[in-house]
Amino acid sequence: MASLSEAFITGVGAFLPGPAIPNEAMEDYLGRIHGRDSLLGRRALRWNGVETRHYAMRSGAAPDHSNAGMCARAVEAALDNATVERSELRFLAAATTQGDLLVPGHAASVHAELGIGPLEIASFQSVCGSSLMAAKSAWLSVRTGEHRVTAACAGEFASRWFQPSFYEGTALVDAKGRLRAEADFLRFTLSDGAGAVIMEPVPRPSGLSLKVAFIDLVSLAHLYDPCMWAGALMEGRADLKTSWSFAGPGAAHASGAIALLQDFELLKRIIRAWVGVYLAKVEAGRIRPADVDHVLCHYSGKSIREELVSLLEKTDGMIPEEKWFSNLRTVGNVGSASIWIMLEEFLRSGRLKASERILCVVPESGRASIGFMMLEAVE
Amino acid sequence: MSRNDVADVLRRLTVAFTEFDGRLEATPLIRKLTRGRFTLEDYRAFLINLRQQVKDGALWMSRAASNVDEQHLELRSILMRHAVTEHRDFRLLESDYVATGGALADILAGEKNIGSEALSAWMFHQASQRNPLGLLGAMWIIEGLGSIKAAEWGRLVQQRLVLDADAVRFLLYHGDNDSNHIAEFEKMLGLVLPDAEVAARIVKSARVTARLYALQIEEIVL
Repeated sequence: MASLSEAFITGVGAFLPGPAIPNEAMEDYLGRIHGRDSLLGRRALRWNGVETRHYAMRSGAAPDHSNAGMCARAVEAALDNATVERSELRFLAAATTQGDLLVPGHAASVHAELGIGPLEIASFQSVCGSSLMAAKSAWLSVRTGEHRVTAACAGEFASRWFQPSFYEGTALVDAKGRLRAEADFLRFTLSDGAGAVIMEPVPRPSGLSLKVAFIDLVSLAHLYDPCMWAGALMEGRADLKTSWSFAGPGAAHASGAIALLQDFELLKRIIRAWVGVYLAKVEAGRIRPADVDHVLCHYSGKSIREELVSLLEKTDGMIPEEKWFSNLRTVGNVGSASIWIMLEEFLRSGRLKASERILCVVPESGRASIGFMMLEAVE
Repeated sequence: MSRNDVADVLRRLTVAFTEFDGRLEATPLIRKLTRGRFTLEDYRAFLINLRQQVKDGALWMSRAASNVDEQHLELRSILMRHAVTEHRDFRLLESDYVATGGALADILAGEKNIGSEALSAWMFHQASQRNPLGLLGAMWIIEGLGSIKAAEWGRLVQQRLVLDADAVRFLLYHGDNDSNHIAEFEKMLGLVLPDAEVAARIVKSARVTARLYALQIEEIVL
């Protein structure tokens, strides 16, 4: 078998719509359920630590962008950053949690918005982890020699699904007009934007490129029920024969099966499972904490970190906190796009030096999966 | 990289525990609990099945203590203290059972299920060895279960079945009782490590115990 070539990230791009929105103004964009302020919002913000974020629409007004449009802008920024001509792109892998259309796949919409081609495309739909699924596809395309210039992008237009009409008149709102915590929490956690990377078989002519050493994705869906989902009720969501589409859209909406929901109790158990997967990688020598110079971890929970940090320290799995970089506080949690938006700002920060290693960690609560990507800076 | 100090073993034990945790999540009984289909009959079956094995806990710990030589006196003390603390725990299970409206005679007459038989036999087998240091791995799994899973299950059971706290004391009490579990365990490991052979025995014992414990839960099917 012919040997595989290396693959390098040669460009990174991010797109954040509109101005940074502070906590006090969030509900002007998300809207207010039955006109009332959320009671849970402040608690959710304390937990996730986000201070500003971006939205692609303001409640009641027409959207400023589409999900695919934001992805296309991020891909263009990444191509520019890589100093690659747009016409050279051959492969586009696109990720999202919920695209603009139910059908066809997100990549087709992003490709149309890019307006170049023809291209080979691949769509990846999951939650945060879909970013690395797309990246792995682009990475393998380069490694096997299928394509020379590839892009992996991810985008979210979360705020559209958080508008009052998704909840009002459904079983998710009680008689006093309060939205269930499983739904409201996510409204104060997720926001909009897109990010992209370009991968090629050679480093960029000047400046730092990132050799992709590995991308490992581990799903534990055979053990855990859906933890963050849309399309089913809280109870019975593991029985896929009862999902929203069998009831029809009207009945499904009324029952509360359309909105995005999160099971917090299950999340606590899944966090332990993530730690287990990570430590198994350390045990196997796949990840050596001492060799990692920077950590980019897409995790929004601030308050649970203490006990995790202590466990990681006791098991020699901790990477010292001064090596962690995150911009979740200022740009918000943009789901699948977050890891690229974080990488883009990290590279601009000038912290990275040649031959340093970056560990990217993308846990996805969707149905208990976690992804790791190891990058090495080369000149 | 083959170090065998405390952090190294603790890491392997944490991986073993998280795999155990995931396996439990997928057992029929726990699936019923987390999916909201858990009934009072399920809970009673759970208590009856646990009780038969919990009753043995202090017995194997005492036997293990009697096999610990004078080089490891501190460890012997720990085992003896644990045995004393836990040797009446099965009475809690019985009173929980009665508080749910069950008849004492029924839980007393219960038999070990296939997994409980295997687990008990394995624990007594280890405890009967000279210096059964591998048992630390078994204790890691069983106490981890007590400090992490028991309270989670207890809260879910209470919530789903709308029970008074006096019917879930065994599960809730363990959650309260074992909060210093990891720090205490680190200390115990420090008494016997570094030692490659002991480290391997501890981790192996944890993995076997986890598998057999999960088998015990898998065997509770109504």
